[in-house]
Amino acid sequence: MMRTQVLATLLRARPAAQRVAPVFTRPSSSAHGQETFESFNERYVQFFKDAEDLFEVQRGLNNCFAHDLVPAPSVIEAALRATRRVNDYATAVRIFEGISEKVENKQQYQQYLDELKGVRDELGINLREELYSSS
Amino acid sequence: MQALPLRLARSSLRTAAPLVRARGIAATANASSTAASTSASQSVIPLSNVEAQWENLNHDDQLAVHQQLAELQKKDWKGLSIEEKKAAYYVAFGPHGPRKPISAPGDSLKILLAVVGAMAVAGAVSAGVKSMAPPPPRTLNKEWEQASNERAIEQKMDPISGIASEGYKGPTFVVSK
Repeated sequence: MMRTQVLATLLRARPAAQRVAPVFTRPSSSAHGQETFESFNERYVQFFKDAEDLFEVQRGLNNCFAHDLVPAPSVIEAALRATRRVNDYATAVRIFEGISEKVENKQQYQQYLDELKGVRDELGINLREELYSSS
Repeated sequence: MQALPLRLARSSLRTAAPLVRARGIAATANASSTAASTSASQSVIPLSNVEAQWENLNHDDQLAVHQQLAELQKKDWKGLSIEEKKAAYYVAFGPHGPRKPISAPGDSLKILLAVVGAMAVAGAVSAGVKSMAPPPPRTLNKEWEQASNERAIEQKMDPISGIASEGYKGPTFVVSK
């Protein structure tokens, strides 16, 4: 008698949410936040502006070149200025090598080179091809 | 498209650690003698020759070259000579250590010749063994097998579903062409 009363009280005291039938479906797995190309570039430009040492710059380069896209010229320019800041010429040359690996064809690579001609001349960065063809 | 950047990524990550470590050591332990060792190493290892000598340098000399290049790269990059730029690039990302190519030039020709040679040897061994083999057994010919069929029918072998049944169409003893 006493027990049934206690049980009834407990049942009544349960929060309403628990009495709702459980949901057997899970949310769609495609419901991730998708980063747009613009916000990706913005994020990495900011990253390279803040990068303070060579390890950090190379880590950022590894990450932003690991996606299925070629980073925008603005990202490349920020990365080149970051290599200048940490005084590593070799990494600057390597960035262009990375672009040539990532782009789909030679025309795209040439477009990147033309777009970045200003910063290349400003910082004095040679391409790997230039370094090894001039000797 | 996906594999190439991964290789690049891995290779550049590997170089990052030693470079950083080398600079750390230079900053702490060698601070007083950096100038002396750099000037001493300049006579020992000319930067124009780093690519040829790098593999044979001992660890201290490599460290000295690292420090020398780190100092050089602090200057205006437009003032660096091609030799210095190539040395900096080679030391950081050249084909040595973990980035050494797996195969040397000319290896594919050697592999091709070795495979063709191995196939030729295998063919010769097979032909030699076959030439020394005894003749095939006397029951392995069409006449013998047809005679086996006739004898099976004569003896009413398996008369319900087998070779001696009516209108039998199935495998018989004939296997030779």
